[in-house]
Amino acid sequence: MWSLNDHRTVFMAVGLIGVLVCCVPSVMLFARLPGGEKFSELYVLGPGRMAEGYPYNVRENESYLVYVGVGNHMDSSSYYVVYVKFRNETEPLPNATSGTPSILAPLFEYRLFLPDGQSTEVPLSFSFSGISFFDNQSTVRGLVLNGVQSNVDKHVLWDAADSGYYYQLFFELWIYDKAADMFVFHNRFVSRWLNVTTPV
Amino acid sequence: MGGGVGLRFWVNVFAVCLLSVCVLCFVRGVFAVTFQEASDQVAGADQALRVAFNGVLDAEQSGANVSVLLPRLNEAGVALSGAEVALEAGNYSDAVSGALVCKSLASGVGDDAVVLKNGAVAAWGYWWVTVLLSVAASVVFAGAVFLVWRWFRRGYMKKMLGSRPEVTG
Repeated sequence: MWSLNDHRTVFMAVGLIGVLVCCVPSVMLFARLPGGEKFSELYVLGPGRMAEGYPYNVRENESYLVYVGVGNHMDSSSYYVVYVKFRNETEPLPNATSGTPSILAPLFEYRLFLPDGQSTEVPLSFSFSGISFFDNQSTVRGLVLNGVQSNVDKHVLWDAADSGYYYQLFFELWIYDKAADMFVFHNRFVSRWLNVTTPV
Repeated sequence: MGGGVGLRFWVNVFAVCLLSVCVLCFVRGVFAVTFQEASDQVAGADQALRVAFNGVLDAEQSGANVSVLLPRLNEAGVALSGAEVALEAGNYSDAVSGALVCKSLASGVGDDAVVLKNGAVAAWGYWWVTVLLSVAASVVFAGAVFLVWRWFRRGYMKKMLGSRPEVTG
């Protein structure tokens, strides 16, 4: 059987817990819980919004679809710009080590505002025009991104190791820096290799 | 007579044509947009969108729920992207149209962000009510536990004093 002291301890514990519970709303007014690591996501999905079925062998005047996804874990709402760029094997990608973007000019852009903890996916349809082959070299004159025509004029040599003419479509993530009042490269980029082939 | 009517007819046709040309020139003169004008409008829209977003961030940091504003900012972002594409393509009137849509949306969002921020700041001004209620609830709860403890202790003591010793073994 419990002694009187045991019962007193139980009553004191219940009283203390109750007082703490009553204080929670006030504490939450002033307390700031430490946030986790701040980061953003950038990813590409196939036409079915899954990580499969990506366009790979592409031809002139055929339309292809991918989805570009951005996720915000920056602990506040964020303003992003995703730049779509196109390169051949000799042109530079962004440098993840130094955190510098590619020097290539963007062909298309998305402006996205995201609340913390949410992500969004935007469609990108693309097609090629002016594809030609000569000796062991291919040329792409035009690229249409979401209906917007761009003159790219890129050349690549035949890749004997992987048997194809490879170009790369890539996406850079930039974020608005309120303090500097400018967009800065967020050191996130993703890419897809595209093998340009002749029409069937 | 017939020759006079024919001449008058051709004079009227000429006058209508001349008037049409003048109107077209006037309309073109009024609505023609130069690259510089379009570029300025797009730059202004870009700046307006940044200002609106900064307002939304301020409101969010003040504790306001800004989830209703972000979709409108996204609409403004689409308009700005369209305006930039049109500017690159040399379609200056479309660039100006997109920039104006962006500015209008951004302005509305900026105004609403200020309202939300003021509401959040005003709500924060009542923080002492929350603290007062917490203190009052704590005191009431602690007092209630104390009263229950006293009632329990009295009953416990009465029970212990009233029980008879029992010889075992």
